Amino acid sequence: MAELSDKDIIKKIKNGEIDHYSYIVKKYTTLIYKFIERKLFKKDEADDLVQNVFISFYKAIEKFDEKRPIKPYLFQIVQNELKMYYRSKKPTTSLYDDIYLENDRLQDIIDDDYLSHLNQVERNILQHISKGYSYKEIGKLFKKPINTIKSIVRRGRLKLKKIYEKT
Amino acid sequence: MKKLEEKIIKKIYRIETKKTVGQIINEAVLIIIMTLASMFMFSVIVEILNEQTSFDLFDFLRDDFETIRSYFVNNLLLFVQELPFPLIYIFFALLLILIWLICISFKNYNKVKNKLISIYKFWLK
Repeated sequence: MAELSDKDIIKKIKNGEIDHYSYIVKKYTTLIYKFIERKLFKKDEADDLVQNVFISFYKAIEKFDEKRPIKPYLFQIVQNELKMYYRSKKPTTSLYDDIYLENDRLQDIIDDDYLSHLNQVERNILQHISKGYSYKEIGKLFKKPINTIKSIVRRGRLKLKKIYEKT
Repeated sequence: MKKLEEKIIKKIYRIETKKTVGQIINEAVLIIIMTLASMFMFSVIVEILNEQTSFDLFDFLRDDFETIRSYFVNNLLLFVQELPFPLIYIFFALLLILIWLICISFKNYNKVKNKLISIYKFWLK
């Protein structure tokens, strides 16, 4: 096994001899593990990421050109995995119905005649929200899915914000 | 680190086992379905030709060589005209798909065989 080059191993794996993949795993695990470990907030998550890297590489091995070196390709996968990891750890705030109502500035806008800049549907929905209706209730009233209502509200808010900032 | 390596290899084998077994089952089912459909279509065509008594057009083949030579082209053309073409097209399409599937299976035979050997070695030895 030790005499085989990476190129030969990839060829063999492509030919179905998947037991040769253990050679790649043994050769690169330590290197990738140490690299990932340095980049993570929680060290215990390194195991999962290393596993994902090798699984992704295995899944892509059919398309992998054996003439190319493995290491840069593996590190490209590592980069992608890390990107996904950081994205998943990014603090996010879920949007609740009441967030809109808590925003006093937008509440003021609704009271003004800014609403005339919006189309009929957006205006109606925003007026319902200012009256305290939830997205679910508005969805039922307008016979539209809740996500559509959320999109309309978002669009309306952006429009109002632009107009407000201009004036 | 050794534990992690083993974990990765085990996961890879699990994925590959699922994939290979799924591939074998899919290919086998498709080949069986295509074979049955082709056979069914062929039997329908033969049945139709039987009902039309189109095969009687070849009765002259039992005669002497001179008769065969003079009637062969004419009778063959008549027979072709009597063929149920839409069904023939479907039959050939099914046959082509079947041949294509068999070719793919033959092409992948070595690969699948090697995979099965590796899987067998890993899980059962």
